[in-house]
Amino acid sequence: MTLTEHVPQVDTLALEPGDQISESLVRTLPGSAHSSSEVFAAEQEHIFETMWVRALRASELPGPGDFRTVQVGREGIIVSRDRKGRLRAFFNLCRHRGARVCSEGSGSGRRSSQCGHHAWTYDLDGRLIAAPNPHEDARHRSGGVRPARRPRARVAGLRLDLRRRRRTLVRGDGDGCGALSRLGDVESIEHHGVETLQVGQRITYDVKANGKLIVENFMECYHCATIHPELTEVLPEFADGLAAQYVVGHGAEFGEDVQGFTVDGPEGLGRIPGVTDDQDRRYFAVTIRPNVFVNLVPDHVIFHRTYPMGPDRTIVECDWLYLPEVVASGTDLTKSVKLFDLVNRQDFEACEMCQAATDSKKYADGGVLVSSEHHIAEFQSWATAAIA
Amino acid sequence: MIVACRRDALEPGEALRLDGPETQGVPIALFRTDDGEFFAIDDTCTHQDASLADGWLEDCAVECPLHASRFDLRTGAVDAPPAKRPVRTHEVVLDGDTVFLVLSTDQPNLPPGIAPATTA
Repeated sequence: MTLTEHVPQVDTLALEPGDQISESLVRTLPGSAHSSSEVFAAEQEHIFETMWVRALRASELPGPGDFRTVQVGREGIIVSRDRKGRLRAFFNLCRHRGARVCSEGSGSGRRSSQCGHHAWTYDLDGRLIAAPNPHEDARHRSGGVRPARRPRARVAGLRLDLRRRRRTLVRGDGDGCGALSRLGDVESIEHHGVETLQVGQRITYDVKANGKLIVENFMECYHCATIHPELTEVLPEFADGLAAQYVVGHGAEFGEDVQGFTVDGPEGLGRIPGVTDDQDRRYFAVTIRPNVFVNLVPDHVIFHRTYPMGPDRTIVECDWLYLPEVVASGTDLTKSVKLFDLVNRQDFEACEMCQAATDSKKYADGGVLVSSEHHIAEFQSWATAAIA
Repeated sequence: MIVACRRDALEPGEALRLDGPETQGVPIALFRTDDGEFFAIDDTCTHQDASLADGWLEDCAVECPLHASRFDLRTGAVDAPPAKRPVRTHEVVLDGDTVFLVLSTDQPNLPPGIAPATTA
């Protein structure tokens, strides 16, 4: 498809993102949306530190004393199980003078968190339980089983929610109602039984691009024919440029000669029970704001979380999830993983191309969305309204 | 003999710190182990000023929250440095619904810089 229509001369200063320029062209966000520190900070505060954010899968912390540090917005968070096996989440900083308390990424058998600066020690409930030379003049009395004798302090706790499908979501302490909103057929996730699957492989990507560019890329397929040759071999309808999320409930069909969602199309690993005949040989995609993408194929699930680190940098963690018996059998997952790993790299390269030029004065007012991308305008309006 | 608490004040796995004139200036930690038994030792670690009632209770021993030396609740013996001296133990007497303690007459092994509090 080529742009044959002459772009009309309009007063670009009067346009807002999402405004219609002509019948088929809609204005995008301005270039500065991808590079401004103020916009980034506002997004962190009003989106990532306010909405429910997917932190990790509960199954990553099987027992008491297990923990993992995650990033939520700009905050480092420790997610752990206490002695009774309950999931807890705390801000990863010492209430003394602000040092990061836990520098390991994950571990098990933890009995307490001790700050490496002055050995202030917090138990698994976040209570300060020890500090060298506690001061008598900070005597406090509290009711309950253990009266405190030292400065009464806790590592600041975070609300934590264990939603269905056993993802652990962590919520900042904002008041905003973090509604899970999605494009795509969320019922598909139920059929694939995502909560029963296990990680076969995890790949982490460090992308030099703004997080919104990554979301927008995932939402459209206008780019597929250009940058995803292997994917369009498996899903030929992507060559038409319409994404699987463009029409809710639409799963993109595998090509006739394609046996599985793999590079070069050989057979996959056996259909997940629960996947219906209608869903077989199809790819479904769901975006869950603010930071999750879910890709569903008959034999596995590909699951992205994005962590914006700065206006021009995003960490993307991608898990390939399979039936437990597939993971346990030690089957070679290379061909299965390779396809979407390629897709990821191709996508992130495209996002980095957009990031590289985003500060050009010729992009100060942004660009245009064509018809097959118009659903992206809704995301852009949401992102703008969230920080207004 | 002093009154420590009601029997049902502590669940198995919990600890209580007693620090009043009745403990003669040295705080005491009362533990109820997972099998329901009560033990009492001095609350202050013999190495540095930390409360053993806030330590990690497992089986019949407690681990100091500051540096993880473990004290046997029956004998007061310590397993490994940095603490070197055992902690004093006190006899527990259960009568009906009440937990009583018979305070030890030995000298406590308090850490450097800590002395029994005197009531003013």
